[in-house]
Amino acid sequence: MIRIFTLLLAMALPFLTVITNASAATGPENERCLICHTDKKIIKMGGKHLYLDSSLYAATTHSYIGCKSCHTAITAVHPNDNPKPPRPTRATCRECHAPIHAEYAKSLHGSKATCTDCHNPHAVKTPLSISGKDINAMCAKCHNIKKLVKTHTRWLPQADLHIDALPCITCHTGSKNYVITMAIQTRKPGAPNGEFKLATRDELSRLLPEGSELDRLIDRDNNGIISLDDLRAFNSQVRNKEMRLWGMMTPEVVSHNYKILDNRWDCSFCHASGPGSMQTSYVAFPDKSGGYTRVAVEKGAVLDILNGTPDFYMMGATRSAILNIIGALIIAAGLMMPIGHGTFRLLTRKNRKKH
Amino acid sequence: MKKTEYIYLTPMPIRIWHWLNAFGFVTLAVTGLNIRFPDYVNLFGTYKTAIRLHNTAGFVVSASYLLWFSYYLFVSKTLAKLYIPTMEDIRSGIFRQAWFYFFNYFMGRPNPHQSTPEDKFNPLQKTVYLVIMIFLLPMVILSGFLLMYVTPLRDIIYYVGGIKTLVSAHFLIACGFCSFLFVHIYLATLGHTPFAHFKPMWHGWEELEKHEDHEKKEDQH
Repeated sequence: MIRIFTLLLAMALPFLTVITNASAATGPENERCLICHTDKKIIKMGGKHLYLDSSLYAATTHSYIGCKSCHTAITAVHPNDNPKPPRPTRATCRECHAPIHAEYAKSLHGSKATCTDCHNPHAVKTPLSISGKDINAMCAKCHNIKKLVKTHTRWLPQADLHIDALPCITCHTGSKNYVITMAIQTRKPGAPNGEFKLATRDELSRLLPEGSELDRLIDRDNNGIISLDDLRAFNSQVRNKEMRLWGMMTPEVVSHNYKILDNRWDCSFCHASGPGSMQTSYVAFPDKSGGYTRVAVEKGAVLDILNGTPDFYMMGATRSAILNIIGALIIAAGLMMPIGHGTFRLLTRKNRKKH
Repeated sequence: MKKTEYIYLTPMPIRIWHWLNAFGFVTLAVTGLNIRFPDYVNLFGTYKTAIRLHNTAGFVVSASYLLWFSYYLFVSKTLAKLYIPTMEDIRSGIFRQAWFYFFNYFMGRPNPHQSTPEDKFNPLQKTVYLVIMIFLLPMVILSGFLLMYVTPLRDIIYYVGGIKTLVSAHFLIACGFCSFLFVHIYLATLGHTPFAHFKPMWHGWEELEKHEDHEKKEDQH
């Protein structure tokens, strides 16, 4: 019965995540466990794996099903069992996530890494609440980024730029949809060539009056949607403040069939979608749980010529219609010369013969 | 009676530059069209081929630009003389030439400018070529170079207004060049024969038609 309930909860995880908050995880059952397991002293006593960050755990959907759903054999006298069990029982991921497990097991990646090598069950987040940079940081635990750039350079123009602007899983696993997710990045003042890093919640909070929600940084009228005007104002405000919006093309609903997807060799998978698609964008703000909460951006922000997303441009896909019309008019003006002048030239040819 | 004279108007380095530039430019325009509108234009099989060809043509045009600049600045030392319009050119020469193209030409009156190696371009040509060669072409080369190496040059891109400003500038200048190309080719057909101005760009020699009667009269004066 417990397993069926657990399975149902697992299916509802993506929906539950939306309403996750720190207090949700601190039910009386979890609270008993968290007293010891969120105290760093436990690391010295038994090892790093015994410690968990309460705020990260609270944000996971696993916190809803409770510690005992996975660690079923924990006794009432734990940790003073006598004799001590070799290790407290743990549910395997497969027990609840069987379809994902089966898909992953068949993938190229299946024999290389276990679920927990990528996903810490006590801090796991959905793709929507994790930044593209964090996803790539996870991949970089095994895959050396410099080597990746080198191997991708063999076939991919500007491989460094692609790896910087895409989570690896955008190309290396399937997804139902892709969107542009922008995150605020900062770098140290006075370090013009320094690396931009994702801005932390603390850094951004300092820019607002106490108690304000972070999205107010861009969403000035607080209507839950970031307009082009909001973006424009933010971009011009941060122009010389070592801060920027960094856009990445992120997958929405990912699969676990890790493989080199054939259609990704074809650049036109991303670069030929036209201005109509992939124009859905969000700004992701760091939230209290260490993840990100997305706020929708008005359609077309990626197209806006100068101020929408000045540091994001995807050739072939984000061209601006206004700019195209101006360009066409410039070319048409040039064509008018041979057409117009040529017509008069033909009509007045007799005048030139006289001379 | 008509008499044909030949003057050596276009030295070889300039002809090499011109044709490298011309073929490079056409390649850039076609591949650029493919890169910007891949869902409508696919002339090179894959998008990547169009990009690589565009980048290669960009380097060819940049190298030929250096050849042009070095030749006029250091070898013939006529860059300023040929390309910078004089005050007289700006005050009246440009308008005189424009008046010829848009009125006097249709009336069958002669071109007010005769090309010589020392004064190859008419005032209108000088002004347009100066803007193109000293301002627009370096701008498009520089913006193209920045767009080829976005990650390592990100800071420079950031200071010029972001990647979108750069792409917009690159695209609009390129459209300007396409526009110029139509005008340039058409105006080149306005010689005494439709190909009279094309030939010197191939073998260097410009044909000048002179009327012997006119010459005799001039000699008497």
